[in-house]
Amino acid sequence: MSKRNHVFNASKNHKRQSFKCYLKQNGILYVMIIPAIIYFSIFHLLPIVGMRIAFEEYHLQGSNEWVGLKNFVALFRSSTFLKVLLNTLVISLMKLIIIMPIPIILSLLINELKQKNFKKYVQTIIYMPYFLSWVVIAGIWLSLLSYDGVVNQILNIFHIEAVDFMKSEIHIRWVLIFSEIWKSAGWNSIIYIATLMKINPTLYSAAQIDGANRFQQMWYITLPELVPTIVTLFILNFRLLLNAGFDQVFNLMNDSVLNSIDILDTYAYRIGLLDGQYAFSIAASLFKGMIGVILIVSTHLAAKKISGKGLW
Amino acid sequence: MVRKYKAHYVLTCMVLLVLSLAMLIPVANIIALSFTSPDKIPEVSGFTMLPKGFSLINYKLLLTNSKVLRALFNSLLITGVSTILNVYMTCISAYVLTQSDLKGKSILIGILILVMFFEPGVVQEYLVMKHMHLIGDYWSVILYKAINVYYLIIMMRFFEDIPKSLIDAARVDGAGHGKILLRIFIPLAKPAMVTVGLLYTVFHWNACFKPSIFLSQDKWPLQVLLRQFVVLGNASCIIEAETINKASQISYEALKAGFIVIAIVPILILYPLILKYYTKGTMQGGVKG
Repeated sequence: MSKRNHVFNASKNHKRQSFKCYLKQNGILYVMIIPAIIYFSIFHLLPIVGMRIAFEEYHLQGSNEWVGLKNFVALFRSSTFLKVLLNTLVISLMKLIIIMPIPIILSLLINELKQKNFKKYVQTIIYMPYFLSWVVIAGIWLSLLSYDGVVNQILNIFHIEAVDFMKSEIHIRWVLIFSEIWKSAGWNSIIYIATLMKINPTLYSAAQIDGANRFQQMWYITLPELVPTIVTLFILNFRLLLNAGFDQVFNLMNDSVLNSIDILDTYAYRIGLLDGQYAFSIAASLFKGMIGVILIVSTHLAAKKISGKGLW
Repeated sequence: MVRKYKAHYVLTCMVLLVLSLAMLIPVANIIALSFTSPDKIPEVSGFTMLPKGFSLINYKLLLTNSKVLRALFNSLLITGVSTILNVYMTCISAYVLTQSDLKGKSILIGILILVMFFEPGVVQEYLVMKHMHLIGDYWSVILYKAINVYYLIIMMRFFEDIPKSLIDAARVDGAGHGKILLRIFIPLAKPAMVTVGLLYTVFHWNACFKPSIFLSQDKWPLQVLLRQFVVLGNASCIIEAETINKASQISYEALKAGFIVIAIVPILILYPLILKYYTKGTMQGGVKG
């Protein structure tokens, strides 16, 4: 018994000493991370804690009054909010379904190229728009899509009547889709090109010996290798279902198309910062945030179940 | 068989050529328009890629305008200071977070995941800035994205690739964390630092929305002024009526084009570097962007 106690004490002593030793060696690490902790606390955690305003009635003077879910109920009774929510979902789903496959196709096409110089030229050009700001892109596209712009000139050749795209409620969503493709499809293909480059070339030689044509090679070798990357990116993008791209919409929006491209973020900005209805706006943001978290967790779990590999 | 293969290859090339031209022509067109001499502006179509005649009148007008110069100065200041702070914070945090035996690491990673997947929304960010008395101050736009979690993760991936044997050897020689970071990690991860630094630079240079709500008009960076002028068509924000009258021969469209070019020149200068460092890193290490 006493021996056992002794051993216990010794290990306890040892533990204490090793912790002291650990601190002496690694204490500096905690000092190094302090600025980051302060930064995240002030600019990320504090705003999240402050979201309790969503459950309060905001008073300019005096303390706020706890009103429970009143703001959320009001939000869901507001026809503007419901319209904005629908817009967000439609635009996001359009982007997800139409835009997702394009970088994959691009990477497959680029992967086929044999002239090194041409390949380099294509890559250099198509990655570039990603680094232009939405302000610049809006500036460029405004003139492209104007009544006498290039796009209408091309349409004229095919005897299609000119459209003022930026002011047309029917077309503006497609402007969002195409400008998003223009900006980021090239850059997003990099991740697929990197994956393609890692495929073992002997797989193709073997397939060629077996008589597989190029399409069969693509279908049976290339695409399966891309699937894990596609799944991961799909999950990451799916989480953004209620995002729909604030900067883009903010810069391409004008009053005549407000009805069809007003999204949650622009709505939260407008009623919050422009109209000063803080609680209402934060309730909308909190709703969006919660849905985002639910989406990421559920897609993660689904991916884990299907492919055995989740996000983390 | 051979002919069929060729046809398919030519088709691939054609598709990519058309796509690349769709991205090249609008940008080249803007640049051409900005340099075209005023009397030849009507000849410029949307497909023009080289300036007709040559004139610097748009740039002369823009770069002598006090508001544009002020915005340019603001942009350079914000971008410069932010990027230095970003790289410093990102490096140090990545170093600490890649220590395998760090106690309390899971809490820190938890915070990162929360930050990555939950955005509090614009009103909250504004209220916190107001609370900190940073509204209208350059520090607001410098600090609100002091660390980008995605770039931090890129940095951590690079740091994780540094051979453990090197670190152990340094430790045996008595080097502490500071020395290991300075002498081993930073020299070895230089490409990563340049990559992340460039991405931060582009981010700050291109930022428009947050600066426009955090800063007062005299501290607006270039992008905000550009938005006023080019997107909202509010010419009076930079040019007084008398200037327009005086320089009646200038074209409004060409002036816009010149302003856009000024805003994208830094990006075009940095772009080859980004390609060199980022794509190299991606191709070798499989870094996720």
